[in-house]
Amino acid sequence: MAHASSSSTSGNPVSGMLTVIAVQAAGALYLRQFLLIDDWRFVLGLLVLFAAVLVFLERVPSVETRIEAAFARHSRLALLMGIALVLGFPFVLEGNTYALHLCVISMLYAVLALALNFQLGSANIPNFATGASYGIGAYASALLALNFGVSFWLALPAAAVVATVFGFLLGIPSMRTRDSYLALVTIAFGVVVHQLLNNLEFTGGPNGLVGIPVPELFGHAFSDPLVILGHTLPPQANFYYLSALLVFISIVFAERLHDSRVGLAWNALRADELAARCQGINVTWYKVLAFAVDAFLAGFAGTIYAFYVGFISPDNFTFLVSVTIMTMVIAGGMDNILGVIVGAFLLTMLPEKLRAFSDYRILFFGITVILFLMIRPQGLFPQRLRRYGD
Amino acid sequence: MSELFFQQIVNWITLGSIYALIAVGFSLLFGVLNIIHFSHGDVSLLAPFFGLAVISALGSVLGDAGTITTFLLALVVSIAVTGAVGVLLDLVVIQRFRKAPAMMALVATVALGIVLRELIRHLFPNGSNPHAFPRLVDGDIAIAGYSVPLFSLTVVAVSALSVCALFFMLNNTRLGLHIKAVSQDRDAARLMAIHPGRIFRATFFVASAIGAVGGLFFSSYAGMARFDFSIDVGLIGFSAAVVGGLGSMPGAIIGSLLIAGLDTLVQATVPNGASYRLVFVFLLVIGVLVFRPSGLLGRTLVEKV
Repeated sequence: MAHASSSSTSGNPVSGMLTVIAVQAAGALYLRQFLLIDDWRFVLGLLVLFAAVLVFLERVPSVETRIEAAFARHSRLALLMGIALVLGFPFVLEGNTYALHLCVISMLYAVLALALNFQLGSANIPNFATGASYGIGAYASALLALNFGVSFWLALPAAAVVATVFGFLLGIPSMRTRDSYLALVTIAFGVVVHQLLNNLEFTGGPNGLVGIPVPELFGHAFSDPLVILGHTLPPQANFYYLSALLVFISIVFAERLHDSRVGLAWNALRADELAARCQGINVTWYKVLAFAVDAFLAGFAGTIYAFYVGFISPDNFTFLVSVTIMTMVIAGGMDNILGVIVGAFLLTMLPEKLRAFSDYRILFFGITVILFLMIRPQGLFPQRLRRYGD
Repeated sequence: MSELFFQQIVNWITLGSIYALIAVGFSLLFGVLNIIHFSHGDVSLLAPFFGLAVISALGSVLGDAGTITTFLLALVVSIAVTGAVGVLLDLVVIQRFRKAPAMMALVATVALGIVLRELIRHLFPNGSNPHAFPRLVDGDIAIAGYSVPLFSLTVVAVSALSVCALFFMLNNTRLGLHIKAVSQDRDAARLMAIHPGRIFRATFFVASAIGAVGGLFFSSYAGMARFDFSIDVGLIGFSAAVVGGLGSMPGAIIGSLLIAGLDTLVQATVPNGASYRLVFVFLLVIGVLVFRPSGLLGRTLVEKV
């Protein structure tokens, strides 16, 4: 892959830069159209377009390598352009609050999917408890805010720490169990958390917690419309930027981890646990670490969700939520950061866009997982080879 | 022994027998296929819905839905159809994961369970709501001064018979020996002219049919059929098989009795225990797995390089 990049783009840096700009702009435009279109027939049309592009890229690998090479070469431009697009995106949504809301939820799910990706994608640990960690984060921060008046900005790290502690606890049985047994432990953990939230007095039982205060930053309440350069954005924009920041941090986090010894150790675990152990990798520690990292990120997402919606109940954090997150990782592409994010956006927005079939969304998730595992187990965006030397 | 205590014992054994019918299927499938068929609980709990459908269909054809004959016919048909559904799932989905990593099969069957549950909800008339399910046997019988529901006696007797038949089948018939051969070494079995695919399908049929008996009993015990029963029952059945040690039939039975015992104990002693029961059950599961990772009677796997 490395020599392909040098040969195809060494001559024309301008075309490389144009490629980067064109691909990113096309992506943003596609997302905007997808969000603003109402008729489900157009939504299906856009989906077909997406599939066609993917198939085209698969059939003509030279285009894919060109694009990849351009991004690798102009990574700084790609980053700046990406930030600009994300910052400017709310302005082109014509003040559509629902579209903005979908973006916020999609980004939170993207964080959750990235969190699960450390385990399912990198280390191949089946974790059915990401939804529970998400719930623990949400409840921890909401309880802190409601009972002790802790501000959002303090509750955010505190909830992440609480979720991480539970993640460690969940990781402990993983020291001795594997595969199906471990999957059962995580499912059991999710069910236990859900039942406790549903029955304990201080978590509000099935009614959940109501009236979670709105975060404030420098005197600006997040429930107020956001005014930027004379342009007024709906209140959801506050959370849009907040969750975009979280997604950005998660991506950096994920990439750094992927490139570090930890990421390598997880990949070694996935390839062969016994061989990894023989190479001197502390298998137990890295497994527990994967659980902790997953819970840490999920705790952040949970906190933002709780303060965004202002109301949480145990039913927001069921086993089905964990399965949904897993669907995103599998459909998007395990161990591929871009793929996981695309999977999260697609599977959050699609059921909302195809409202006519909203009753069938769970069925749709189930069938999606099975079909992907049967037909395309590597997901929409297959995992990349590790690149060294550039 | 007080009357109440005796009733709890009866409850425990009844519930334990029902769980065992489902757990045995998990264990059998794992032993033969070496993958977790996570949707086994959902398959098992299709049976009550098939039963209801057959009863109402026969009622509209024959005009009388209440006779013993239609009832028994409905039971037999629903058990057979549930077994066939198990085979169908293997043919359509599960057999594609024979050579895939265990985790993929696991995730796929979890999703399969969700699909089955949703299909019931959408395809069965009024599927989201509970449907009344008749008690299979009514009345009480007096044993040593205590009154025992005939239903519980039936459940225990039928479960014991089914499990004995399963053991007999596995140990003494040609099919059983073939199943054992395939579970021990798939390739060697193939060399002995045993068709593994056929054995897998036979195993799916047997496991699903026994699960169907458990599913019918469970709905009858609860007095209704609900599409989401299978979440709890499936998880409990799987947990029982895991606690006992996957692949071990006696283990599955011991695990079921253990979990049913804890379940009954919690419901009887802990205030508001009914809503906490799964918490205790799963804490037991996690505890057992931490101290005995391959279950109580499971073989400890030693991986060789």
